[in-house]
Amino acid sequence: MPINDPIAEGLAAGWHHLDGSTMTEDVQLEADVVIIGSGAGGGTAADILSEAGLKVIVVEAGPLKSSSDFDMEERTAYPNLYQQAASMKTSDKAIGIFQGRAVGGSTTINWTTSIRTPEPTLEFWAAEKSVSGLSRNELDPWFEAMENKLSIREWALSPNANNDKLKQGCEQLGWEYTVIKRNVAACWNTGYCGMGCPVNAKQSMLVTTLPAMMTRGGTLLSRVKAVQIEHHKDRVFGIRAQALNEQLKPTGASVMLKGRHYILAGGAIHTPTLMMRSGVIDPYELLGKRTFLHPTLLSGALFDETISAHSGAPQSIYSDEFVWRDGAAGKPGYKLEVPPLHPVLLASKTIGYGRSHAELMEQFNQLQVTIALVRDGFHPKLEGGRLSVKADGSFSLDYPLTDTFWETARDAFASMAELQFAAGAQKVLPISEGMAMMGSWKQTRQAIADMSLAPLKTVVASAHVMGGCPLGEDRQLAMVDSHGRSHYLENLSVMDGSVFPSSLGANPQLTIYGMTARNATRLAGELLKTKSPA
Amino acid sequence: MKRRHFITGAFATTAALALGVSLYRPELEPVDAEDSHRALFAVLVPVLLDGALPRMSSPREAAINRTLDAISQTLTVLPQSQRDELELLLDGLENRLGVLVLTGSMTPLLLRSPEQLVVMLESWRDGFLEMQQQAYYGLRELIMASYYSCPEHWGTLHYSKPKI
Ligand SMILES: Cc1cc2nc3c(=O)[nH]c(=O)nc-3n(C[C@H](O)[C@H](O)[C@H](O)COP(=O)(O)OP(=O)(O)OC[C@H]3O[C@@H](n4cnc5c(N)ncnc54)[C@H](O)[C@@H]3O)c2cc1C
Repeated sequence: MPINDPIAEGLAAGWHHLDGSTMTEDVQLEADVVIIGSGAGGGTAADILSEAGLKVIVVEAGPLKSSSDFDMEERTAYPNLYQQAASMKTSDKAIGIFQGRAVGGSTTINWTTSIRTPEPTLEFWAAEKSVSGLSRNELDPWFEAMENKLSIREWALSPNANNDKLKQGCEQLGWEYTVIKRNVAACWNTGYCGMGCPVNAKQSMLVTTLPAMMTRGGTLLSRVKAVQIEHHKDRVFGIRAQALNEQLKPTGASVMLKGRHYILAGGAIHTPTLMMRSGVIDPYELLGKRTFLHPTLLSGALFDETISAHSGAPQSIYSDEFVWRDGAAGKPGYKLEVPPLHPVLLASKTIGYGRSHAELMEQFNQLQVTIALVRDGFHPKLEGGRLSVKADGSFSLDYPLTDTFWETARDAFASMAELQFAAGAQKVLPISEGMAMMGSWKQTRQAIADMSLAPLKTVVASAHVMGGCPLGEDRQLAMVDSHGRSHYLENLSVMDGSVFPSSLGANPQLTIYGMTARNATRLAGELLKTKSPA
Repeated sequence: MKRRHFITGAFATTAALALGVSLYRPELEPVDAEDSHRALFAVLVPVLLDGALPRMSSPREAAINRTLDAISQTLTVLPQSQRDELELLLDGLENRLGVLVLTGSMTPLLLRSPEQLVVMLESWRDGFLEMQQQAYYGLRELIMASYYSCPEHWGTLHYSKPKI
């Protein structure tokens, strides 16, 4: 069946899109609002501001790719749609980080899990991080609006076997579990969300807010990377960007962006890096510190029956049994979920090589994988990572995996193994050097108690990059106020995952949609008040 | 099994060239870096992918070749900083001093048996030197990702993408 490509259709209908790879000369572009980044934050802001009648330019460093390009192969998706071709890592290489880099940002490749910000997180921000006006009561109407816009609904089909094992384990053990809400419409249940939805069912920014913005006459620049915020005293007077070729190297053409207001939405890591590189005032040296990852451990389990973890909605069940057990600031908790498995992902996020690895890969369809996402940024001994900008303008992220993290990791491995055995696993493999497939919970429990855990030797991954440019009212703690407006530059806002003052303890996209909807709506009102008549 | 088994056909010459230049006459014309790394990967790939590669010699040779192409391809999409780090490592593994520092022996990798290469990989994997650990994990990831990115290599996984 031929699949419509709404992006190809929109471009044919005359959307304003400029591809940096075709730019040969320097240009200057102007709008009411210039938005850097087209992901969860940038897309939502672009929609709301353009709907309010403001002229918007969205600038995206990655390429514009759409369903016709999404061939469901990792070798195409990773270089096209992921930061660093999905090989991004912390400076010691101990944590592999997945993050999007294409029009739609990480929403183009995310797994569609949509969760409202947990109340303990918002309470922690209010009590400890000087955040105001972001209680669940205040945010819920914004979540509801975004849920309606993006078709966020509880997944009504049966979970795939990978998720079902998580559910069964929880049922057996009496642990909490929840059926996930997903941002999909007419989903084909194929399981390839992470490579770009081939049938446009995922209601990512690529197919929702950004088309809406362009239909209203807004402009999208792809393969154009913001490199410098030009500022003087308390105002930004332009953002300088570079046009990039198909290999995402500078073409030599530069783009000067001028607006009444500027929104940074490049996502965690990139928004703080841009600000640091631009020498934005930061008297308390907050930028780039407290970058959170929800560092994630993996546990593999072999079942007799077919699991086919690549097939079907990637995430449809989660368990919060262990997230808040010791209170927000207590021992870090972990959320239990499952990832979709595909050959490169599984091959690289497991251990060993040669025959033992080949045997594991041969059991691809029998393998269930559970993941534990550790809630970082709450406990004083798990404060996240620290970004630094290198001489060439790129970044490095130091993320210390502390003893507190490893203690939590050990607990998490035990919970995952217990759950997998309870769900009927024949064997369980905590994914860390020195571990082998083990056949009983008793044996595995002992092995986990004795196992050595260490950076590089224990596989740690992340798909949730957050923080580095915190919001809040106290300038000693926050770069932007609780509405995302810079404390120092009056026409600059930040609307993306970098504003979180801790991680969330939940998958981030809906928090970013809801908070951005709130903050962009208020900004639109303020800008309209001062807009000169056309 | 002997090294010759792995450095098949076309690579034998490249391998010799790489050895010649980097070991004995470093001041003379450099060989094409990509090609010399290809020879190095041609000895590492069969070890890391032992059990995954086909057993029969002709499909095996095809799979190795395909993987070597995929590795070159993967290298081109990595960010410059990672490529630079990998280049440094690969260059190190192709010169005598580098091999000595990283493996404790001067024997070129191209002249080591698969068993000796396993010993080397295991010592890196268990090692305390960050440099060795990163060498192990870096090469492992590059080779695994490149091999399993090719649909031709999914047969034993019984994995295929859906038809839409
Ligand atoms: C594989 C994967 C699966 C995930 N699954 C889920 C899930 O199921 N549920 C969930 O809630 N979350 C999920 N996430 C995370 C979620 O998608 C992100 O947290 C969210 O999209 C972040 O929004 P953002 O606006 O902060 O940044 P992003 O969505 O990452 O967008 C930022 C964009 O800005 C661009 N950019 C950066 N710097 C510049 C610059 N200087 N100039 C121009 N452009 C720039 C980037 O290229 C990128 O496209 C997943 C993430 C990944 C990678």
